[in-house]
Amino acid sequence: MAGLRIKKVWVDRRVETNGLTRQLLDRLAGQPVEIVDSVEAVRRFIRLHPDPVGEGKQHLFITSQPSFIRPCPCTPGCLGCGYWTIDLDLNCPFDCSYCILQDYLNLQPLTVAVNRDELCSELEVFFRQKPSGIIRIGTGELADSLALDQLTGNSVFLMEIFRDRPGCWLELKSKAGLPPALLQVRPADNLVLAWSLNPQVVIDSEEKGTAGLEERLAAAAWAVTHGYRVGFHFDPILHYPGWRLDYERVVESIFRLVPVEAIAWVSLGSLRFPPGLLPLARRRFPQSRIYEHEFTRSAEGKYRYPRPLRQWLYNQLADMFAGFGAEDRLYLCMETVEVWQEFSAKIKRGRRNFTFPFPWQC
Amino acid sequence: MVFRIVKLSDLNLEDRRFRFTLNSADSRLLRSIRAVGVLQPVIVTARQDRQVLVDGWRRIEAARSCGLEELPALEIAEKIGDPAVFLVAFFENYGQRPFSLAEKSLAIRKFYDFRLRANEIIERILPLLELPPERRMLELMLEVSVLEERFLQVIHRRDWKPVTAEQLLSFPPEERAWLLSLIEKLTHNQQREVIESFYSLKRKTGKSLEDLVRKEKLAGPTERLLKGEISAADRLLAALREEKSPLLSGLRQAIEAEVRNLGLPEKVRLDYDRNLEKPVLRIGLEAGEVTELKEALQSLSASLENPEWRRLFQLLHYEGE
Ligand code: SF4
Repeated sequence: MAGLRIKKVWVDRRVETNGLTRQLLDRLAGQPVEIVDSVEAVRRFIRLHPDPVGEGKQHLFITSQPSFIRPCPCTPGCLGCGYWTIDLDLNCPFDCSYCILQDYLNLQPLTVAVNRDELCSELEVFFRQKPSGIIRIGTGELADSLALDQLTGNSVFLMEIFRDRPGCWLELKSKAGLPPALLQVRPADNLVLAWSLNPQVVIDSEEKGTAGLEERLAAAAWAVTHGYRVGFHFDPILHYPGWRLDYERVVESIFRLVPVEAIAWVSLGSLRFPPGLLPLARRRFPQSRIYEHEFTRSAEGKYRYPRPLRQWLYNQLADMFAGFGAEDRLYLCMETVEVWQEFSAKIKRGRRNFTFPFPWQC
Repeated sequence: MVFRIVKLSDLNLEDRRFRFTLNSADSRLLRSIRAVGVLQPVIVTARQDRQVLVDGWRRIEAARSCGLEELPALEIAEKIGDPAVFLVAFFENYGQRPFSLAEKSLAIRKFYDFRLRANEIIERILPLLELPPERRMLELMLEVSVLEERFLQVIHRRDWKPVTAEQLLSFPPEERAWLLSLIEKLTHNQQREVIESFYSLKRKTGKSLEDLVRKEKLAGPTERLLKGEISAADRLLAALREEKSPLLSGLRQAIEAEVRNLGLPEKVRLDYDRNLEKPVLRIGLEAGEVTELKEALQSLSASLENPEWRRLFQLLHYEGE
């Protein structure tokens, strides 16, 4: 839990006596604790802080979730990859300048759900009803999957539920190091430990509190040595003078440490964000320049790099991966059919499965 | 409250402690008062032997212009303190019309100066004003409230949103004043775009506004606009858009040059997605008869050997920085 700073723990009255709540409070012994009726009490408190988003990251709310599993909505007009999400934790102790959760979560504090029985029942139904083929599901959409793991132990808990569920791939996506607990258990075939990667200069300037590039790659290498499959996410790729060389170095470092065969997938996505994030992030990160780039607005109003630039970024990265024979692991996240078409031609996966051109099903 | 008739000369209009509204009397109100006088009483209260106006600034202004000497008023007892009296002024207006951002900021300043606790303003007053109940919004509003009158008037008249005010406040005072002279007469959307563009360019380059507008493309329209030529606003906005969007602007210019070089007949029109998200051309033909259609198609097909077509498609599929 390096870098985790909790100022106060707030417990939802409904889960006050829950066993996991007690365990969490034991692990957080010494922190001030308040029992509240709902998240509104926490929100009311953090709103009074000059930086409510940053403050929310330092208040832990222990609660129950009404439901956990939902399909990733992707973005209208983009080719969805059929991902599912488990909203087990909400918000993240790290502080990335581009993180859409700053806007999306509407001042939700760092939140941990403890009603695991309900999660298990929901997953049982999900496993029974899942369509044939491969389904990917992960906890990294509204949180960092591993940032709070030493506190919650969610990774091993989830892996055991997913073990021996062929066709259901659980992805734990993170910018943290590897939780030691994962090295003390037998890896499940269908667990993918994934790290989001960016050049160290970007990590230094835009990804406050996260593990450095070397630490993330070392974590991936450890995971592979222990028998896990890994994934990588280049998302968001940022464009700045000198970006190409920096990203090339990241790609080279991956393959110095991780064999191609151990990599399940690598996603590429370029910076994009809803309009509501713009004033908020500019205010919170006055030194960041990423919001002053050239953007276009998509049909639903999101800002993103112009298509010619996005295509260029993806194709350059595809070349870098091709140098290691790994271009077939690539896919694009939240991209339009037009960009996908040119990209598919580039990575020679061709159009044979263009309705679903993702690496785990091609 | 007690009803009475007050003399205009008895009112201390210099004392504006309860004033937060910015509208002034318009011709409709003047006409109405000229016709029937002031029917709705203003609200006053006594402070240090003089009557202070609590609400009714527009009516007083109109009454003075119409030469009235007295008008009906409701008087709040002197012993009622300023904070409670201000609540009357606030709610008397609250139900009548939405406040502009400038008025909201002035109202918040009054609550603050009348010692309402910051947390209470955040939790009770900001939601009433449809502002997010957050400390940073309170801080922003307090900053806006102390801007010079002419800034407040522009913010009021053009109905600014908080984000534009926040961007304006990020400029140092002398740049703010320069910006204000530049945009004072523009529409709300033009003002918003000019401020956002300069804000972004300044963040990106770290340059001062003075340095930014030295660029040839920006210098001309800026100068003209400062001289009062409102028509230069569109030129300035176009130049700012180009400045903020060099890749797409460059591609669009190149595409449009190729289209011009193609020299297509008048009845054939080419169109494309200006954002270049969809790398396709759309071709429109105008024909009233089969022969016209034939001619248009023939001239189009004859042009297909021109190298401009290939270059057009290359530009549409361009990828690069
Ligand atoms: S690690 Fe992910 S979830 Fe956490 S702040 Fe960064 S982008 Fe947001």
